Amino acid sequence: MVNCLSDLFQAEVEETLKRIQSHKGVIGTMVVNAEGIPIRTTLDNSMTVQYAGLLHQLTMKARSTVRDIDPQNDLTFLRIRSKKHEIMVAPDKEYLLIVIQNPCE
Amino acid sequence: MVTRARPSLLCLAGSAGAETLATGGATGVEGPERPGPLQDETLGVASVPSQWRGVQGIRGETKSCQTASIATAEASAQTRKCADAEVQTEAPEPVGVPSVPWNDGARLAAFLRRVEVMVTQELNKNWQSHAFDGFEVNWAEQQQTVTCLHTLGYPPAQGQGLHVTSVSWNSTGSVVACAYGRLDDGDWSTLKSFVCAWNLDRRGLNPQQPSAVVEVPSAVMCLAFHPTQPSHVAGGLYSGEVLVWDISRPEDPLLWRTGLTDDTHTDPVYQVVWLPEPRHSHRFQVLSVATDGKVLLWQGAGAGRLQLSAGFALAVQQLPRNTKLKKPPRGETEVGATAVAFSSFDPSLFVLGTEGGYSLKCSLAAEEAALARTPSSVPLRAPARFTFSPHGGPVYSVSCSPFHRNLFLSAGTDGHVHLYSMLQAQPLTSLQLSHKYLFAVRWSPVRPLVFAAASGEGDVQLFDLQKSSQKPTVSIKQTQDESPVYCLEFNRQQTKLLAAGDAKGTVKVWQLSTEFTEQGPRETEDLDQLAAEVAA
Repeated sequence: MVNCLSDLFQAEVEETLKRIQSHKGVIGTMVVNAEGIPIRTTLDNSMTVQYAGLLHQLTMKARSTVRDIDPQNDLTFLRIRSKKHEIMVAPDKEYLLIVIQNPCE
Repeated sequence: MVTRARPSLLCLAGSAGAETLATGGATGVEGPERPGPLQDETLGVASVPSQWRGVQGIRGETKSCQTASIATAEASAQTRKCADAEVQTEAPEPVGVPSVPWNDGARLAAFLRRVEVMVTQELNKNWQSHAFDGFEVNWAEQQQTVTCLHTLGYPPAQGQGLHVTSVSWNSTGSVVACAYGRLDDGDWSTLKSFVCAWNLDRRGLNPQQPSAVVEVPSAVMCLAFHPTQPSHVAGGLYSGEVLVWDISRPEDPLLWRTGLTDDTHTDPVYQVVWLPEPRHSHRFQVLSVATDGKVLLWQGAGAGRLQLSAGFALAVQQLPRNTKLKKPPRGETEVGATAVAFSSFDPSLFVLGTEGGYSLKCSLAAEEAALARTPSSVPLRAPARFTFSPHGGPVYSVSCSPFHRNLFLSAGTDGHVHLYSMLQAQPLTSLQLSHKYLFAVRWSPVRPLVFAAASGEGDVQLFDLQKSSQKPTVSIKQTQDESPVYCLEFNRQQTKLLAAGDAKGTVKVWQLSTEFTEQGPRETEDLDQLAAEVAA
């Protein structure tokens, strides 16, 4: 029973990530846990480790910035736009979803 | 005053004294019932000697101590055996992603469910947004023009009329070295030539005095710095030898040499390249290319000798026949190679430029044995896999794009630069840059669409394929009297710098304007598009 359930969840997770990855312009998708360790990724090892570590720290900093200004407020979404692409981070208590998109100019 | 208990010894005097005090006081004062006139009364002094504390005089006793005498002894030690050991750090292993056990599927699925809608909305909005159109941020100071930072020369070499045949930047990007020789007719065999290096980051840089000079018995045709060792440089000579110097040792810079054996080239070496060894990626070997048709790989063996570890030989009969080539004169089977470039995407793939004007796609992994006339210690193989359609004259320089796996440039003596794709024999485009020869062409290491070419008319031409695909964006005049510029190299660490050497014996270091050093937002895609649409 437990096996069946976990397979179901696994299928759902893979399905969702595939849907996000197939959006227009998406270069990579990854899920990072609360310690900054990547659990799911579509990029190669070295890039994943870099993105996970750096973005985890940045998200924590962004969240503390928002809450320092107004303790009733909290971070819901983080977007970083660079010359080459846009990085989007959806934070949560336990996980971070990071999506890298190359928007059309 | 009635003391019932027997007073202890200690407070005996105290109580006695207190009695006198009390009685003394009592006689002096009238009874409490009739207050008399207040009068002054002097009471005797009451003294309460202490019984329990006697006078404590200072008692002293003399004592002395002496450490026992220190025993000393003399002895000597001498190592009889000594050994040399070297320590070398290995290149760090890439960090692997630690595997996380799958035990929280439910929570992960719930998280993704919560987040997916928001992320999808943002992705769609982003795709359609025009908010950032034309928005560019300048982080560094903009520089509008190309300026000459340094003009370097070595007067003894210039006095002999030597040309700069090759320039190279070292692995840290702070030292530029140039090789002196002659690319036209001259008295080769007795001509002493030089390899000079200037350290541009040092204060007190004297442009006429290099920080290191190496005298070489024969003309040096090409130069290449080691990819990780900042002071090792390899050079190929007119006599066919390949030497490796360490320019941080002024007294004896020569590290390795091939010597003149059966294995060495019999013709001038036109280009040397450092390659990582197949099994130990932090050690390097030298590849040399010469007009005798041989491409040889050398490895440092003991006693300063470079030993042949692998080799390739080009023969006309073994060239792939996918392009129509001119029939060679009878009896001549060698194909002289004049330029080599390795692909940055596939380390075993390289392109050779030849004297016949055609470029060859070759592979280090080729197995077929070569038809070579001269015997050699290592069996030579035929490397050519594909032949590209020729220039109108010998190809002096090829360069593979660091951003696209299939594109490379070749420059020949017909004054044209051809942009080839590895996949087809005909060039994608052909640009005429000069009415004289073109000696060098290099892709920019930072901008995918920019390349530079050195022409025989004395200028360095910078092309930006994004701006114009017909004429150069900037044409820098290096020499005043139109003597040719023979070589140029971009600095990979300090990406604004470009070094070019000319026939007057001077090396000029140009600082490029910002438009040549900062990547635009979509350049890699534009490069892909260029490759695809022109090929179609």
